[in-house]
Amino acid sequence: MKIEKYKIFDQVCTFLGEDLDSEPCKQLKEQLQSCKDCEVFVDKIKRTVAIYKTADGCDEIPDDVCKKLFKKLNLDDLMDAKENDKK
Amino acid sequence: MDEKKVVAQAQQGDRNAFAILVNEYKDRIYHLGLRLTGKEQDAEDILQETFIAMLQNINKFKGNSAFYTWLYRIAVNNGLKKLKSKANSYTHVSLHDPNVEQTHSEHLNVWPEFDFKDISNKKFRKELDEALLELPEKYRTVFILRDLHGTSTSETARILDISESNTKVRLMRARNFLKEKLEDIVKLEGLL
Repeated sequence: MKIEKYKIFDQVCTFLGEDLDSEPCKQLKEQLQSCKDCEVFVDKIKRTVAIYKTADGCDEIPDDVCKKLFKKLNLDDLMDAKENDKK
Repeated sequence: MDEKKVVAQAQQGDRNAFAILVNEYKDRIYHLGLRLTGKEQDAEDILQETFIAMLQNINKFKGNSAFYTWLYRIAVNNGLKKLKSKANSYTHVSLHDPNVEQTHSEHLNVWPEFDFKDISNKKFRKELDEALLELPEKYRTVFILRDLHGTSTSETARILDISESNTKVRLMRARNFLKEKLEDIVKLEGLL
């Protein structure tokens, strides 16, 4: 149970973008120890971000958009050549 | 790809190097525009305008930041210009802040385990997109850059020309707003 709590603390600190030993994180850890609502809040924030990330992987640049871009840049003769130069 | 080398070649007018850079970043820039505006045509415009600006200004890049930070900054500025110029025609873009600054008491109802297949459901996906577009640009841009594109706090701050603490605050507000929206969607879909 304690390990779970500490995992959550670390996640909250990550969400805030703070260093784990920073003062805001220490205060947050103290609050979370007695706050069930905070745990639920953290879980929902984490899952919101995860859902958006998952949903987000579906978009690819359409072929016609890509062709128009290279044409506009006068690089249409290099569309195939660049593929070979990529990692 | 050795990006520094490719950028240096592009700065000397090497067309092939330009093409490599375009290919490396085109998907991300298109995606950024699409998430920012919610419209494919606008995303395409932002894509073209960004790379035209890259071609014209690449010699101004001095290597003080990562190349993509410099390029993202151009793309975000183009995106924000686009949003401003079309402010009246967007139905979802608010000119004032929605409830992003309110704190809500958390309901103790825990969300169910989602089947991630639900996310590819078109209706659910549309609702997610709409929720994102309801966020004012200043929060939306931070969420897109930090959570969807994975830029760091300092890179995001640099791209948007805001402080790091401001970046963190905006991100938390964006996440909280989207969480509230998702709560509504979950209820609406009968998942709770």
